[in-house]
Amino acid sequence: MQTEAPIADLNAENLRRAAIDRSVKGPVLFLFTNAAFWLMASTLLGFLSAVKLVSPHFIDFSFLTYGRIQPAHLLALVYGWGIQAGMGVALWLMARRTAVELKGGQATLITLGVIWNIAVTVGIVSVLAGGSTSLEWLEFPASVATVLLIVFLVFAFRIVSMAAKPQREGGFQVSTWYIVGACFWFPWVFATATGLLHHVELGALGAGINAWFVHGVILLFFVPIGIGSAYYFIPKITGHPTHSAQLAQMGFWTLAIFGGWTGMQRFMGGPIPGWMPAVGALAGVLLLIPVGIVGLNHHLTTLGSHKLVGTSPTLRFTFVGALFYPISGVLLALISAFWSGSTMQFTHAWYGYQIVVVYGFFSMCVFGAIYYIVPRLAGCEWLSVRLIRNHFWFSVYGIGTIVVTSVLGGFQQGAVMNDPGQWDVNFLAIATHSYIYVVARALAWLFILWSNSWFLVHLMLMVAGLGRRSSAPTLLTHDHEHEELPLTEGAKA
Amino acid sequence: MSASNINHDTNDLDRIHSAVKREKLDLPAGNEAAPMWAIFIAMVVAVLAGSHLGMMSKPLSIESKATFAPVPDPRPSSTGGADNLDPFALAMKKGASAYAVCGGCHQGTGMGVPGQFPPLAGSEYVTGGTERLIRIALSGLQGPITVKGAGYNTPGGMPPQGMALGDQDIANVLTYVRNSFGNEGPMVTKEMVTKVRGTITGHPAQWTAAELEEFAKKNVPGDIPAGPGATGAPAAK
Repeated sequence: MQTEAPIADLNAENLRRAAIDRSVKGPVLFLFTNAAFWLMASTLLGFLSAVKLVSPHFIDFSFLTYGRIQPAHLLALVYGWGIQAGMGVALWLMARRTAVELKGGQATLITLGVIWNIAVTVGIVSVLAGGSTSLEWLEFPASVATVLLIVFLVFAFRIVSMAAKPQREGGFQVSTWYIVGACFWFPWVFATATGLLHHVELGALGAGINAWFVHGVILLFFVPIGIGSAYYFIPKITGHPTHSAQLAQMGFWTLAIFGGWTGMQRFMGGPIPGWMPAVGALAGVLLLIPVGIVGLNHHLTTLGSHKLVGTSPTLRFTFVGALFYPISGVLLALISAFWSGSTMQFTHAWYGYQIVVVYGFFSMCVFGAIYYIVPRLAGCEWLSVRLIRNHFWFSVYGIGTIVVTSVLGGFQQGAVMNDPGQWDVNFLAIATHSYIYVVARALAWLFILWSNSWFLVHLMLMVAGLGRRSSAPTLLTHDHEHEELPLTEGAKA
Repeated sequence: MSASNINHDTNDLDRIHSAVKREKLDLPAGNEAAPMWAIFIAMVVAVLAGSHLGMMSKPLSIESKATFAPVPDPRPSSTGGADNLDPFALAMKKGASAYAVCGGCHQGTGMGVPGQFPPLAGSEYVTGGTERLIRIALSGLQGPITVKGAGYNTPGGMPPQGMALGDQDIANVLTYVRNSFGNEGPMVTKEMVTKVRGTITGHPAQWTAAELEEFAKKNVPGDIPAGPGATGAPAAK
């Protein structure tokens, strides 16, 4: 630890960090802003598709039918918002941790960012126009997938090459393991799945590979970026080191080993060789281990600093995001295990899982990161505590509602469909019985729409340099501990 | 990069760098050992998870559904001996569900829509000869028609159902309409529908009421299973 460093070193270190921030400013702010627009689009589509499940003739255009906006909603969430914002966080975090400035190529990265956004737009428009490939999370044309892969690979290359030559002692830390992992895992999963699904005749196995792909993107991109961000920001804000390096290693390696084996259990009892769903279910339940270990490590790190959760926007979002991680893990185990999965498969519960992991866990961690990163890049402070509070509470209530109603609704749906005694119950009757849950989902997306509108406006003002001109951070309640210099904090510890 | 490269006055510099200056240092992870109880719980989870592998009876076969063993099929079947429904009651039950196709026009009550869709309740076309009824169900009907004294001539008429519904389905639904809405009539069997379908093959379009007048009273010959439907007794509930 460098807590005893003299003032001169501290100043040099501060200037170094400021220089690193400047070097990644363009690409990172570009990715964040565009991602926030896609999040807005996804939220609107999510609301609309929930309404359409209950009232199919609401805004009656063929390009706005449920079968088109539901995939468009998730594509916008995954590729428009999630992966784009995730790349931004990964780039900044890796540059900061390794102390490597982005030397040149900012314009190239921004251009690639533009291409990424054009590709996502083309993909979503083609889905809305009726050209969906019907592959979950891959509904866009194969050419769009190729473009996305190339753009991601360039970003991943820049990030990994920073990790290859760290300019800082001990630069390679827990958060950076996860980011390097995500940089390798996502292209692997994405290239394998698109290659197989678009170019090989697979029959029923194709459905299994598609499910493996979705689980892979979740567990090998969204989860590591979310955990990586939490592992960085929790110690950063609280000033306490991550509790245990040993737990961190166990959590990382168990995720790395089991993360790529899940997916096929979606088709348990289905027409694919028996070992595939069995292994998928095995891994889905085994993933409770990294979930529990990482959750325990974060809990032990945050212990005693819960007051800061109330004041720091970054820590508050990251803390809640990290809390959603164990919830998502338990839900995955429930959906995956044969005992409960046979009831929950093919129901609303699957939507609940996607939202809890991509929105509840990953996005909340990324919001936390954005609240930390953007003031450093934009050179001004967040304008309004009230806007941040709105963003936080409406997001939490919205996501909570979606997850609870989807899981309950899914369980009820699955129980009725699986009950042999109810063979003469109309499928439509089962669908209409879950209306109440879907109406709640529509309301929840309205909540989130409210929260995201403010987040988007706030972020755009910040990126435009219209934030608060002040040297004090925007905190949710005033707290002097947070404003102490690192030196005094270190001396106290 | 050194401080001298930045052309701001000191206050600006302070402000611009205030965010980095107030940061806490990145700290390496602590050296606490992983608690034993956490490792123990992880092992319990691993054992539970591993039991999924034991549930495979034939891992390489798509037939291995050990944990998803087929449950006894509770549906009554028309061939199985274990039925507790007689053929007539079964046809009524299945016909009621297939009637969803007809109910869009003829309505759930069988009363039709005055001026547009003729009623089935009390209709001479329904309770009369089975030959005419089966022909209408198979190939549809268009043009003017008089039912219970009221004239109907809906554009497009009634679409044919013979392509969408099998013989058994048509027999079920016709049995249902002949014994619902206050109607009473003997059962229509699958064999009867098959027979009529065979005789009308090649008939290209919907019938007209006039074409079918000759079959008004004709019943398709065929055995009707003994039971409540055989004689046109009141419909089972």
